[in-house]
Amino acid sequence: MDRRHFLKQSTLASSLLFVPSFVKAFENISPKSIGYKRLVMIQLSGGNDGLNTIVPFNNDAYYNSRPKIAISKNEVLKASSDLGFNANLLPLKRLYDDGHLTVINNVGYPNPNRSHFRATDIWQTASDSNEYLQEGWIGRYLDHYGNEPYNAIEIDDSLSLALKGKTINGIAAKNPEILFKTSQDPYFKNVLKHYQDEHLSEHNLGYLYKTMIAAESSAKHIFDKHQTAKSEQEYPDNEFSNQLKTTAKLINSGLETRIFYSSLGGFDTHSGQINRQGRLLKTYAEGVDAFVKDLKTQGTFNDTLIVTFSEFGRRVKQNAANGTDHGSASNVFIIGNQLKKQGFYNELASLSDLDDNGDLKYNVDFRSIYATVLSNWLAVEDERVLNKSFAKLDFI
Amino acid sequence: MNTKHFLHLFARASFGASQKDIINSSNLSPAQVVDFLFDTSKAMTPLDVDVSGFKNINKKDLDKKVVQELQKKSRNKIKTFNIKWIERLESSQELLREKMTLFWANHFVCRDNNILFVQNYNNTLRANALGNFGDFVKAVSKEAAMIKYLNNKQNRKLRPNENFARELMELFMLGVGNYTETDIKESARAFTGYNHDLNGNFKTRDFQHDEGEKTFFGKTGNFNGDDIINIILEQKQCARFICGKIYKYFVNETINKEHVEELTNRFFKDYDIEKLMRYIFNSDWFYSEENIGTKIKSPIELLVGMNKIVPMAFKKQRDVFKIQKLLGQMLLNPPNVAGWKGGKNWIDSNTIMLRLKLPSILLGNAQISVKPKGEFEDTYEEFYAKGKRKKIINVTPNWEAFEKQFENATIKDIKEQLIIAQLSDGTQTYLNSLSQSSKREYCIQLMSLPEYQMC
Repeated sequence: MDRRHFLKQSTLASSLLFVPSFVKAFENISPKSIGYKRLVMIQLSGGNDGLNTIVPFNNDAYYNSRPKIAISKNEVLKASSDLGFNANLLPLKRLYDDGHLTVINNVGYPNPNRSHFRATDIWQTASDSNEYLQEGWIGRYLDHYGNEPYNAIEIDDSLSLALKGKTINGIAAKNPEILFKTSQDPYFKNVLKHYQDEHLSEHNLGYLYKTMIAAESSAKHIFDKHQTAKSEQEYPDNEFSNQLKTTAKLINSGLETRIFYSSLGGFDTHSGQINRQGRLLKTYAEGVDAFVKDLKTQGTFNDTLIVTFSEFGRRVKQNAANGTDHGSASNVFIIGNQLKKQGFYNELASLSDLDDNGDLKYNVDFRSIYATVLSNWLAVEDERVLNKSFAKLDFI
Repeated sequence: MNTKHFLHLFARASFGASQKDIINSSNLSPAQVVDFLFDTSKAMTPLDVDVSGFKNINKKDLDKKVVQELQKKSRNKIKTFNIKWIERLESSQELLREKMTLFWANHFVCRDNNILFVQNYNNTLRANALGNFGDFVKAVSKEAAMIKYLNNKQNRKLRPNENFARELMELFMLGVGNYTETDIKESARAFTGYNHDLNGNFKTRDFQHDEGEKTFFGKTGNFNGDDIINIILEQKQCARFICGKIYKYFVNETINKEHVEELTNRFFKDYDIEKLMRYIFNSDWFYSEENIGTKIKSPIELLVGMNKIVPMAFKKQRDVFKIQKLLGQMLLNPPNVAGWKGGKNWIDSNTIMLRLKLPSILLGNAQISVKPKGEFEDTYEEFYAKGKRKKIINVTPNWEAFEKQFENATIKDIKEQLIIAQLSDGTQTYLNSLSQSSKREYCIQLMSLPEYQMC
C-alpha cells in the first residue's frame, strides 16, 4: 500500500473521537449514498459436486459415470422433466416450488483452474483464470460505492480476499458483542490518540494501526445497531446457521450493509462422498430455510437476494474412493422473491460432450451473474466494479 | 555482533532472544553467532508422545467399536502432541531446527487424525528441516499422513487420483502456472500404488501401480514417484519457488528479485537447505533496515515469544487450543493444503484486537495499566470494574523467571529486547508518560503495542 493510498483509507477514522490530525483534511469527502437492497453471498467451500446436488435423473451418462455414487431416480426430489433436487435439499425444493429460487446451470469461466485456492481467488476477485488481482470484487464495490467497513460484512473470524478493496476493506464480524467489547480498551484508545504519521511509512505496522482504528469505529456501530434487532426465529444449532442468524439480525437492524458474506466448508469430497455431501447439503438447506423465514417475518425478504456458489464443481466420472475429483462448471442458486426467471434458468450442459479433463463445459460466466446482481440489484455500474463488461442475464 | 542485528537474527531464526543471549552475543562476531545457530541445531530430538497403544494393531481385531475407541484416543493424543510441540518451541535448544520445522509444516501442509502418523510426519519434517530438499520431498511423499491427506491411497492404475500430483507441483515444488494439466495427469499415474501399513510404514501395492509409459516435462519413461520428483528438481523454477517462499518467511514478505535469484543460483546447485540458510543469515542484505521488525508475527510466534519473556503455565489444555483457534493458527490443524497465508492475512478487526489484548489477558488479569506518572489512582478502574470479569483463561505467569532474567536490565533494555520495530515518536511519548515503576507492568504495556506484533 503506498502512502497516498493509505491516507485515503485512513479517512475511515473520521467518525472517531481520536481523529489523527493529518486525517482531518480529508473530512470533506462527500459521503456516497448507500441504498437499501442487500446481497447475501454464500460460498460452499471445497468444490460442491453440482451433479449430485441438482440431479439429472434421466441421464444415462450420469448413471454410467457414477456406478457407486449416483443418486437413484426414486430418491430425487423431481422438479423438472429431467432435473431434481438431492433429497437433503427438501427446504430448497420448497423455495423452488414457491418461485423463490433460480438455479443457473453450467456456471464457470474460460480455462478453469482446479485448485481450491486459485479457483476461490478467481471467484472472489472476479479475475480471468490467468490474471492475479489483489482486490476482491466486493472490495472493489466498496472502493467505488462504500463509506465504511461495515458496508460489507463477512460473518466469520477473518476476512476473505473477496471483501478486500484497494482503499477500503469490509469487516469480519462473527459476533458483534465480542467484537465491540474487545475494541473498548482505554489503553488502546490512548495509544491511538498518540498515533502519528510516521507509522504510515511502515507497510505492515501502518496496517496494524489502521485496522485498529477502523475496527474500533465499526465495532461500535455494528454493535449499537445489532442490539436493536430482535428475532423469534429458531435456527438449527450449527455454525453455518449461526452465521445466517447473525446476518438476519444485522439486516433487520437496518445496518447500512449492502453485502454479507458467509460460507460453509467441507465439500472437498474425494472419498465417501454420498454421506458427507448429504450432511452438508442438509445443513445448508435447513439454515437457509430458517434464514428466509426470519427475513419474511421481519419484512426484509423483499429486499434481500441470496446467491450461493462453489469455487468449482466436480468431475463427472467418480473416482475409486467413491468420491469425485476437482471439476469445473457447476450450478449457482439465486434466492429471493423478485426473480424474473424462476426455477431452472437454463438446461444442464451435455454429460457426453465434456472438456479434456472430463468436466462439464461452462456456458454462463460467473461474472455475468455478478454483473447482473451489481447492476440490476445493487443498482451500481457493474463495469466499474468488474473492470470490464460482461453480458447480463435475465434472472432479476 | 551488534545487538540490533542479533535480535533481528534471533527473531527470524527463532522466537526472540533472552537478556543472557544478548549479553553473551556482544563478544561474538556475526559469523560466530550464525555458526552457533547451526551447531546447536546439528542434533535432532524427535518429539514423542506415548503411542504404544496404537502400534502393532492386528487388523483382525479392528471391529467398529475398537476403531471408534482408537479414534477417540488418537484425537486426545493429537491434542497432547499439539501442546508438547508448543512447549518444544518454547524450550528447545535446537532453535533453528525447530523454527524450520514450523516453517516446513506450513509448506508440506498435512493433517491427519491418527497420532502415529501425525507424529511420524512431524518428526520427518524435523529430521529433514535442514537437510537435502529432494530427499525431503521424497520422504514426505511416502509418509502415511500425506498418502492419506492428498489421496494417494486412492490413486490406482486406470483410476488415478490427481490430488497429490497437483499439490506436489502447485504447492510443494513449482508454484501455480509452472506445469500443465497433462503434467498432472501423467505424474499422478507415477504415484499409483502408494500405500502404508497400520504402523505408518510406506509400502507400494505393485498390482495397483501403473507400469505404462508416462510423458512428463518432455521426458518419457516408466516413471515412479521418485523419478517424477527428480525430474521436477531439474527445473530451476523449483529452486526459485522454494527460495522465494523461504525469503518471504525468513527475510521479507516483499520479494527482492535480485536476492531471490542469488539464493536460487545457490540452492539449485545441490538443494542443500542448511547451506541456503547459512547464506541468508550471512548476507549483508538480511540485516538491512527494510528487513528488520517489518514482519507480522504469526500467532505461534507471538505466543511462543511472549512465553520466552514470561513463562506461563496454563491450567487447562483447552485454553491453549482456544487461543490458537481465535488467533487463527491451530498447530496440526491447517485450514487447507495451502496452509496459512501469513502476513497481513493474520490481521483483521478481530485478531488485531485479541492480539493486543492477549498480554493483559494472560499476564495482567485482562488489565493494562494506564496509570500516569505521579498518580496513584488508576483512572480507568471504573471501566475495568464494569461488567462481570470472569477470568476467561486460567494461567499462572512465572514472574519470578521474568524478574530473574531482567534483574540487571534497565527499562530501556527491556524495550530494546521486546520491540524490534521502530517505535513512533507519539507512542514513545505516551509510554514515557506512564508510570514506569514496575518492570512487570511495563512489560505488559510494551507487549500490548502494535509494534510488539512485529518481528
